[in-house]
Amino acid sequence: MLCDARAQGGRSTSVSPETVLRVHNLVFGYTEKNTLEGVDIDAKKGEFVALVGPNGSGKTTMMRCINKILRQREGTVEITGKDTKGLTLDEISRLCTTVPATTPLGFSLSTKEFVTLGRSPYAKTWMWESDEDVEIVEKAMWDFGILHFSERRLDELSSGERARALLAKGVVQQPKLMMVDEPSAHLDIKYKIQVMQMLKSLAENGITVLMASHDINLVTAYCDKVLLLHGGRIVDYGTPAEVVTEESMKKVFDIDVRIIRESGVPYILPSVT
Amino acid sequence: MPQSDTKALEAEKKFSELKNKEEFRRKHAKTKLFIILVGGTLALAVTYIFSLTMGIFPLTFAEALRGVCNIVFNWGPSDTNMGEKIIYYLRMPRSICAICVGAGLAVAGAVMQALIKNPLVDPFITGVSSGASFGVVAITLGGFASGVMAGFTIPIAAIIGAIAAFSVTMFVAEMAGGKAMSYVLAGVIISTGLSSAITLMIYFNVKDYHMIMRWMFGSFTDLSWNSACIIFLGTLIPMAIAFLFSKKLNVMLLGEEQAMYLGIDVRTLKRGLMVLVAVLAAFCVAYCGVIGFVGLIIPHLCRMLIGGDHRLLIPSSAVVGGFVLLVADIFCKTAAAPSELPIGAVVAVLGVPFFLMLMVKEGKRYAM
Repeated sequence: MLCDARAQGGRSTSVSPETVLRVHNLVFGYTEKNTLEGVDIDAKKGEFVALVGPNGSGKTTMMRCINKILRQREGTVEITGKDTKGLTLDEISRLCTTVPATTPLGFSLSTKEFVTLGRSPYAKTWMWESDEDVEIVEKAMWDFGILHFSERRLDELSSGERARALLAKGVVQQPKLMMVDEPSAHLDIKYKIQVMQMLKSLAENGITVLMASHDINLVTAYCDKVLLLHGGRIVDYGTPAEVVTEESMKKVFDIDVRIIRESGVPYILPSVT
Repeated sequence: MPQSDTKALEAEKKFSELKNKEEFRRKHAKTKLFIILVGGTLALAVTYIFSLTMGIFPLTFAEALRGVCNIVFNWGPSDTNMGEKIIYYLRMPRSICAICVGAGLAVAGAVMQALIKNPLVDPFITGVSSGASFGVVAITLGGFASGVMAGFTIPIAAIIGAIAAFSVTMFVAEMAGGKAMSYVLAGVIISTGLSSAITLMIYFNVKDYHMIMRWMFGSFTDLSWNSACIIFLGTLIPMAIAFLFSKKLNVMLLGEEQAMYLGIDVRTLKRGLMVLVAVLAAFCVAYCGVIGFVGLIIPHLCRMLIGGDHRLLIPSSAVVGGFVLLVADIFCKTAAAPSELPIGAVVAVLGVPFFLMLMVKEGKRYAM
């Protein structure tokens, strides 16, 4: 599962016509001022989409609107063709999972108990997990290489292990759409790459992944599409080669960069003065 | 490629090995729960009979056991046997109350800790107990708590006081940012205010001082079967409801937003369960007065024993809580016989060192 996506030829170009996420003219504001001003997204099945933008550009807010934690002022969000206005949180939780950057610690939940929580949207019996739930949880924990410390408490894990536990919990939710908020924020470079590979292989298995990230060079290496967000507006949406340019980086982040192309993939090199 | 084949085979083997280990652990967890529940209930039953032997009129364990059997089979005590009468009218309801209150406070504490996501809260700290006290003291001084009506007015006053105080605490804490510490601070402020108000009410009604003091220190003396039945139902029903929600309580440990990711209607659930635990705590303090620290310490003890899963935590908290308070009551009956120690005060004195230890040991981890 943890194959090197780049070694296999980079971004997949397989035809996947099914649109999983469609956001149209999304407007939202915490105060009178709008945080998001008319966002449109179209993400197909199995696409790995990165949300890139400065702090406060509306990345997390957009995710919160998509999973209905927040109610948009205008516009529509459709997941697998269903308008979220007509869906309950419970129904959304079976279509879309959100993987936070971190999770509250404390209280002695074991890693396995934590991952098992991801099955709660599917709970049929109100008490114990079904054999099917157990099967799914153990498979996911195995895939992410955390089954051997299933009994360890969450607060005893390292950041890298915890990131994998968070992803495993997201996967057992069996979503069509997976939103990941800065999964690599606190990780060293090895784990960053590992997490990217994991997300990439999830996308290859048909889950649409929407990831907010500040690691632009990892984004260009692994993602199919980049959505560049600035001040609540979409600046550009397309393949990394189209979106990540000297001009766009200057416009969005107000920094001077040099773009280096390595087998077609653009990498940024900030010019330090 | 034979090499990759062996690799895949090895991985397969490792996976099934780990799975078997997990299978074993699952069985182990269920056995553990079974042992705690059966062992706990047995210990509770034995201690219950033992508690019936204690008092001014001494009985042997065998006499108490025979007495209880006779009472159960004859549906009441025989008129001629003094021991049975004492057991039936004085000691049985008292010990039942001790068990129910201990279990109720422990479960209320466990649920509150999960909802507020703060391991250092309990009905005492969040102002529920003080609110109930305030309600009961007010209604007692108002003269509505005497005669036939007392059986109804006291618990109602306690419940209203508890829910009101708890609501104010929650409201203030949420307004102040809803951090773990906000709840503790708001609770401390509200309960200090209410305690002071109680002091003032007592100051102006010195003649009722003794009665109110007994209530405020907590005591299981003079409890009739009527009160025992009300306490039994008033604690058992909310505890059963809380148990039914234990899977959702597990999800609530992730925090409000992340619980919503998993499809939980957090606001409704939180409000509903808050009212539930306020009612539960109110029934616990309505007749016996304020008993602190049980709701705080017992859930922690159980977490150390069986982990944080509420499906195990709630039943084991109930059993252990009931057991601890029953033992504490036996201690209060016997330590300074023939006079009795106030159980609330005794539990608090014993609970403080434990609480401090917990705070030093665990406080850092919960990022207060």
